[in-house]
Amino acid sequence: MTAASAPAASRPAAARRGAGSAVLGSGRLLRLELRHNAMLWLLPVAFALFWYNGYREIMALPPMWNLRAMTLQNRLLFDLMVPAVGAAAWMGSREGRRSITDLVAGTARPRWSRQLATWAATTAWAELACLICVAVVYLITARHASWGGPLWWPVVVSAAGVPALTAIGFAAGAWFPGRFVTPLVTVVVFFGLAFGTQATSGDHSYWQISPLTAGAFDIGAAPGVATFYPYLPDLSIAQVMFTAGLTVAILGALGIPVARMRWLAAVITAAGLAAAGTAVALAGTGRLDPHGMIAIPALHDAAAGQPVRYTPACGRSPIPICVHPAYAGFLPAVTTAVGSELTEFAGLPGAPARISQVAPVYQQETGNGINVSAHVSGASEFIVPDPLPGQPGGTRTQFAANLAEGLGLQLASYVILGGADQSAGAAPSQAKLAVIAGSVRFPSSVESRDLAPLYGQVLPEPGSPASLAAKRFAALSPAARHAWLAGHLAALRAGRVSLAQLP
Amino acid sequence: MTAVAVRLVRLHATSRRLPAALALLAACAAGLRGTLYGHWDDYGALQLPLIFEAACAAIIAVTAGSPFGEPERATGRWLPYLRLGTAVALTGLASGALAAAGAGMPLAGGFADIVRNVAGLTGIGLLCATVLGGPLAWTGPLAYLVIGVYGLYTDWHPPALSTPWIWPARPPHDVGGALCAAVVFAAGLAAITLRGAREHPGGDGPG
Repeated sequence: MTAASAPAASRPAAARRGAGSAVLGSGRLLRLELRHNAMLWLLPVAFALFWYNGYREIMALPPMWNLRAMTLQNRLLFDLMVPAVGAAAWMGSREGRRSITDLVAGTARPRWSRQLATWAATTAWAELACLICVAVVYLITARHASWGGPLWWPVVVSAAGVPALTAIGFAAGAWFPGRFVTPLVTVVVFFGLAFGTQATSGDHSYWQISPLTAGAFDIGAAPGVATFYPYLPDLSIAQVMFTAGLTVAILGALGIPVARMRWLAAVITAAGLAAAGTAVALAGTGRLDPHGMIAIPALHDAAAGQPVRYTPACGRSPIPICVHPAYAGFLPAVTTAVGSELTEFAGLPGAPARISQVAPVYQQETGNGINVSAHVSGASEFIVPDPLPGQPGGTRTQFAANLAEGLGLQLASYVILGGADQSAGAAPSQAKLAVIAGSVRFPSSVESRDLAPLYGQVLPEPGSPASLAAKRFAALSPAARHAWLAGHLAALRAGRVSLAQLP
Repeated sequence: MTAVAVRLVRLHATSRRLPAALALLAACAAGLRGTLYGHWDDYGALQLPLIFEAACAAIIAVTAGSPFGEPERATGRWLPYLRLGTAVALTGLASGALAAAGAGMPLAGGFADIVRNVAGLTGIGLLCATVLGGPLAWTGPLAYLVIGVYGLYTDWHPPALSTPWIWPARPPHDVGGALCAAVVFAAGLAAITLRGAREHPGGDGPG
């Protein structure tokens, strides 16, 4: 080693030592902040709120990944909001609250650096709470779900929303330290987040950028969404971009008062605002795709529109019913609800060899209206009615009634009226209507007004002679009805059977 | 009332930041009035007043904290009465201000709902002040806000939460809900009167 080379070699080493000690110092500061953080004390509150508000409702849902993951996104941030924003505001106001701003101004680290360490510690605890809640829900769902795997985009959106919440709270506390700031900023954020979605209207709304919005606003977590087709991450990507941009902008703005770093902080703030603004603009270009998810053209991957491959789960009824494996838990309920119809029509001319579930088709209407339909060809296809038992507003009785009105009536009318062979426009005979009405077992919860649009089309008017004949026919067992139809279906379709000739 | 008593009340009010609290309560009332002009769906219309009621309760609870701590307790026998009077007066003012803000507007629940919710939420806040200290007393009312909002949500999405302890989800004139809110308010008043807000020897709480 020469005298000239010695200093040149030691300079990088010194720089490395300096960088190393800075990292060590930052780590030590972060550890201190983690140990003395208000969020740590508010973790029980966060878990209690999530258990009360989110967990119980999520677990009451059918064990389908799409339902639970999308509901989780809608609830998790909402439940973490009060403790996370409150703790962050509390930590952000610490120096001002304790009147130690001047005291710590003389320390080695700039104020921005100290604030980022405090914010990071608060966010780390809040993020831990978020991930624990996700882990609990996903582990339990993994044990119960009959098909599929975890949806990660809703988790990513929730996890990305936590730093934004803490950044808002922290900045408010840092800028306006005082005893009233913490509750006020918490209430304001609560109001903004909880009521922000109220302004959402249609699939082009900018407001769907809210991280609480999982999918189309008026569909939300529906069993038919992300089951037959993959979960579209378009809206999630925009939401993550928005929350990340917001976080960066707020954290950058904290550094603007620091004289030495003003330009750097301003650039960071501008970059964050640009990202958040772009995300909002992208959300405004969304459209509802036929599979019930929001597609954003600039973020859309056309390959994501391919249907999911699956092996259907089929029952052992006389006419087998096959459903998507995610619905396997509802197969017994479906076959029970239309069991008598399946027994009655199995093997008759025109009856399907099996009935398969198809995907619902979603279409945006004016405002927040969504039309849900299905491309059903004949009696061999059907859609499982929504809501399922366990979903909000869904009961087993209602599910059975919807099946009778949908699948049961569809099967009976197709077989009795001759399906594709029936003459277009011709009104069905009273005998046909009587047989259809006598074949379908409507639960007692189905009221006359629910069926009113069908009178004269596929069902007889209440109190009419055909209605009385239908009651007579319904009194027979499914096997007896099957035997009668086997011998008389051709004549019935040809219009050669009168009401008096019905058994 | 003597000049000394007036001065004592004024000093107590100043030490608890009552002028700021009154301004914020007025701001909450103005905020409620402003939002009532907006168009909200059924959820929003019912949940909206609860947010402002919780904000008022949190403000009242935060004022319970004393900046003096132990020395103040040794100054005389009037302190419990001052604490009681402050809490009762602020609760009454908050209820009145919110009710006035909703006058002539489609305020869900009406005056009875406001009085019940503000009293119950304030009771929770005062109990929190006794246990956690004044600066952290907001945690109770705001955590209960989430519970109340969810309770109102279940009115549309059964099974509805029928326990009277979640009184915001009960009808305005429900006796069970009113009794529970009254019990919590009374417990909060008793706790703050007799014990005052908790003081943290090493500062104002965690963090």
